Amino acid sequence: MHKPPIIDVQSIDKFFYTPERLQALNRVSCTVDHGEVVVIIGPSGSGKSTFLRCLNRLEYADSGHIIIDGVDILDPKCDINAIRAEVGMVFQSFNLFPHKTVLDNLTMAQMTVRGRSKKEAEAKGMALLEKVGIAEKFAAKPDQLSGGQQQRVAIARSLAMDPKIMLFDEPTSALDPEMVGEVLDVMKNLAREGMTMVVVTHEMGFAREVADRVLFMDKGEILEQGAPEHFFTAPTLERTKEFLGQIL
Amino acid sequence: MATYTGLDRPKSKFYYQFWGFAFVLGLCGVMALLYYSTKQVEYTWRWNRVPQYFIYDDKVNIRAEMEGTIISIEEAGEDVLVTVRGDDGEESHTLPQSSLLLSQGDYVYAGDSIGFYTQTKPGILIEGLLLTLEVSALAIIFGILLGLFTGLARISDNPALRWGAIVYIELIRGSPLLVQIFLWYFVVGTVINSMLSQYGIGQISPLWFGVMALAIFTGAYTAEIVRAGIQSVHRGQMEAARSLGMTYPQAMRRVILPQALRRILPPLAGQFISLVKDSSLLGVISIRELTKASREVVSSSLQPFEIWIVCAILYLFLTFTLSMFVQYLERKAI
Ligand SMILES: Nc1ncnc2c1ncn2[C@@H]1O[C@H](COP(=O)(O)OP(=O)(O)O)[C@@H](O)[C@H]1O
Ligand SMILES: [Mg+2]
Repeated sequence: MHKPPIIDVQSIDKFFYTPERLQALNRVSCTVDHGEVVVIIGPSGSGKSTFLRCLNRLEYADSGHIIIDGVDILDPKCDINAIRAEVGMVFQSFNLFPHKTVLDNLTMAQMTVRGRSKKEAEAKGMALLEKVGIAEKFAAKPDQLSGGQQQRVAIARSLAMDPKIMLFDEPTSALDPEMVGEVLDVMKNLAREGMTMVVVTHEMGFAREVADRVLFMDKGEILEQGAPEHFFTAPTLERTKEFLGQIL
Repeated sequence: MATYTGLDRPKSKFYYQFWGFAFVLGLCGVMALLYYSTKQVEYTWRWNRVPQYFIYDDKVNIRAEMEGTIISIEEAGEDVLVTVRGDDGEESHTLPQSSLLLSQGDYVYAGDSIGFYTQTKPGILIEGLLLTLEVSALAIIFGILLGLFTGLARISDNPALRWGAIVYIELIRGSPLLVQIFLWYFVVGTVINSMLSQYGIGQISPLWFGVMALAIFTGAYTAEIVRAGIQSVHRGQMEAARSLGMTYPQAMRRVILPQALRRILPPLAGQFISLVKDSSLLGVISIRELTKASREVVSSSLQPFEIWIVCAILYLFLTFTLSMFVQYLERKAI
């Protein structure tokens, strides 16, 4: 039986007024199936982050529809906090809560949003820290960790909510090169476990190895999409070739 | 060589000794100059008269409440128990033996002094200091609440809240505190108190109008400090909290405000120190805080030099304590 896609984006536009009008997204449509890993690539300023942020309504798309797990999040009546709890997001700059310990970073939203008890939340938090390989740092403050460790904590913090979807916005771009691997390994494990993931990244190795589908964005539009083999061997468009030529 | 910080070449040991000495010399010079100039105006320093304004012994008379004869004087340690019997019954008083003025069998009329005791009381300057402390503490508490609320309203999406906050802040910051105190007391106070008296309810004392004026004044500045503190927390913090499904109030309370607090504390301390000093204006609406108390002492003692110096030192004591307390909070909030 075929389930409907978990993410269904129907022709969204997004404008910024800075103050001159700038179209960051231009009639973008795409669907993501359960358990699918989609990698988005494209030049800087092409709207990748904006697209990702529209998916959990950190940016409110100006028109179109975004159906997440059956709910149209652009409907003002939808309970966006309930949706966001199901959609984890990992940021380029980690955004851990610096005034809390690593474990408290993981338990805070579990208790306030999921209504779990402290004991329950801590057990879950410790299990996830174990999983991302930094259980021994549970009592540290985020600024005592390396970038790679912080990003792994950030991933664990999102996973603690038991999300159905994980969004990653250039999760390794702020890391020193030797730490990129440890974060990608966590993400690869997650993909293997069947998590639905949308990943903006410049790590082509990751895309080639893990992605089910690659989207190429430019100037607010999805120009080309396909399986990684297609992309890295025989891209159709001149623009895609040019971009891949620059980064590979 | 020892570690040194700075972009220029390390300074020699004599550099610090020389300029340290110059500093002390300068300080002594200023003191000497002050002393010399008071000599010129032939001012007589009488520091020994100052302590009585801090603490003094009050003589309290003990008087008979009815007419009668002293029937017994019993000793009880340092004190004596004097019993008077009259037509309507008996009464007894305890007083220090040394102050006893009468003896057994004496006849007393109501109101006659039997003896006295001395009571140690805080002087007028201490009372003023306590009142300054009370007014400031109340104004700080209300000011924080008001400032927090207004600061949050200032960055709210709701136009009514935001514009309300802007109007409040601009109005308060745009007029002198002294004028605001007059407004609160002579305009708002008169209206409220005359309305209260129409309904036969008691009056509100000037103290509360003073506290209100100070709190509302401080609230406006605190609001701007709170707003700046909240906005100084990186945008990503709110986004991370919201992306986990937390509501705006939850994210504000658990993620943004705790981080903002640390950055808010130093400017807030400055604001509250200003408030303690500004409370000296409340003398104009007959609140006998430290400055007004000092003025009264000066006009009765004719020792302006000592009293004003002491007054300044007392304010310094308050503000210094406050700033130490805030520094302690800052260390704790890390
Ligand atoms: N909050 C914003 N305000 C104004 N312009 C923005 C904002 N966010 C993004 N933009 C603009 O939208 C375009 C797309 O940005 P972004 O989605 O961040 O691109 P990418 O992530 O692909 O580098 C850029 O031109 C950027 O300047
Ligand atoms: Mg981006």
